[in-house]
Amino acid sequence: MNEAILAALISTIRKTVAEDWIEDFPITAATRFHDDLELESIEFIKIADALQSYFGAQLDITEFLSGKTIADLIALNVGDIANFISGAMLEPGLQLA
Amino acid sequence: MSRILITVPPLTGHLNPALAVAEALAGRGHTLAWAVHAQQIGNALPAGARVYPLDAQVAAQDAALPPARGLESVRLFFEDYTFPMARAALAPLEEAVRAFRPDVMVVDHQQPAGALVARKLGLPWVSLVTTTASIQKGSPTIDAWVADGFAELQRAYLPPELIVERPDFSPYQMIVFSIRALAGSERALVDAPYYFVGAAHAEFRRWIEFPWGWLDHEQRLLLVTLGTISRDRDTRFFEIMMQALDGMAGVQAVMVAPTALAARAPANVLVREMVPQLKLLEVAAGVICHAGHNTVCESLTRGLPMIVAPVRDDQPIIARQVIDAGAGLFMRYGKVTPATARATIEKMLSMPELAENAKFLGKALRAAPGAAGAAAEIASLAGSGLRAA
Repeated sequence: MNEAILAALISTIRKTVAEDWIEDFPITAATRFHDDLELESIEFIKIADALQSYFGAQLDITEFLSGKTIADLIALNVGDIANFISGAMLEPGLQLA
Repeated sequence: MSRILITVPPLTGHLNPALAVAEALAGRGHTLAWAVHAQQIGNALPAGARVYPLDAQVAAQDAALPPARGLESVRLFFEDYTFPMARAALAPLEEAVRAFRPDVMVVDHQQPAGALVARKLGLPWVSLVTTTASIQKGSPTIDAWVADGFAELQRAYLPPELIVERPDFSPYQMIVFSIRALAGSERALVDAPYYFVGAAHAEFRRWIEFPWGWLDHEQRLLLVTLGTISRDRDTRFFEIMMQALDGMAGVQAVMVAPTALAARAPANVLVREMVPQLKLLEVAAGVICHAGHNTVCESLTRGLPMIVAPVRDDQPIIARQVIDAGAGLFMRYGKVTPATARATIEKMLSMPELAENAKFLGKALRAAPGAAGAAAEIASLAGSGLRAA
């Protein structure tokens, strides 16, 4: 897993949630968006938008999610999204901003 | 006069509005019958009600689902509750319909067996929808998963030509116990004929003792409640609320919570296991709740702003509807700290626009046709002689 992408993702999550508890809340690749962070879907979309402008890449998170089953969505963790971003970065014509 | 068969799942939040509609239908002189899980909810039906039990062959099941939050609770509700119950109810329900020979069926949206039987036998039927969450289009993954579940259910019971994508949506009438404004005009709804009737209150809530003398009318009163169904509630949320409210000037709170917490409650918080909620809402200035549809509608009807801390089922969607309507603020149920809770409460009490938006929605709720309007629609469908070929 690309550590720089993971770190950027975690920082984006903290900034987007912007509540006191998340400042010290341990977030790793295994942290689940639903059960561990209690993220609302609207916040998830905000995080995706922020990542898109941060990495300057076309990250089609909606398409990525539409291929998931409901069990995948429930278990979705920070590492899944970091891997998705890493994969998208490898596509031709895209690079880290 | 018509013969009307009502079928609902054994869940209080679904039974109550159906009871209110049934009362209105009986008042118009119609002949009613209920096809329900009689071991669980038979006692709550009107005296002398004609009942076709759906659980005569099986022992009463505990409806309690394992503790779960968010999307996982929705998955469990369909996969471990609604669909298995529908499969088991199909045969006794079809038998009940053949015996009673209704002109129209009234089918709760969470009782899909009723919808399938009506479709198979070519009877007109209306859906009763108890929450604006279930008519909203979901994400593609969730909508596809729900459609898959319904496809499987139908294949085992209906001939192929009668299978549709969402058999739980009546093509005749969807009676929604809410208002269009709460669903949000910008949101896409599943395509169906909707009739929004507002909240339907059955007028038989029992008297609940309450120490009215405790209330100080010089102070602003908050009601803190996570609903009457206290499955998987730990006490963390309540303890955080008590810490947040401790010493808050000019504010009193009544908290619906286990009385074991009373010993630790600050002077301005009263802990009660049961409260006369509607009467308290008459004198409250705001509500902190789980965004259960009933509590939300009851609070809005009285024009009260809310803090919504959704836990499970459809609550996150209802919470979002309240926030988008400008009538409430969000609180993260399992994460909120005393400092954040305190700031959110102070914010709610200092934003008159929240109460204004709640009053706007409350006006629409009070003007809605209610159970009487729902009954008139059902009667008109029953009397139309409309039957599928």
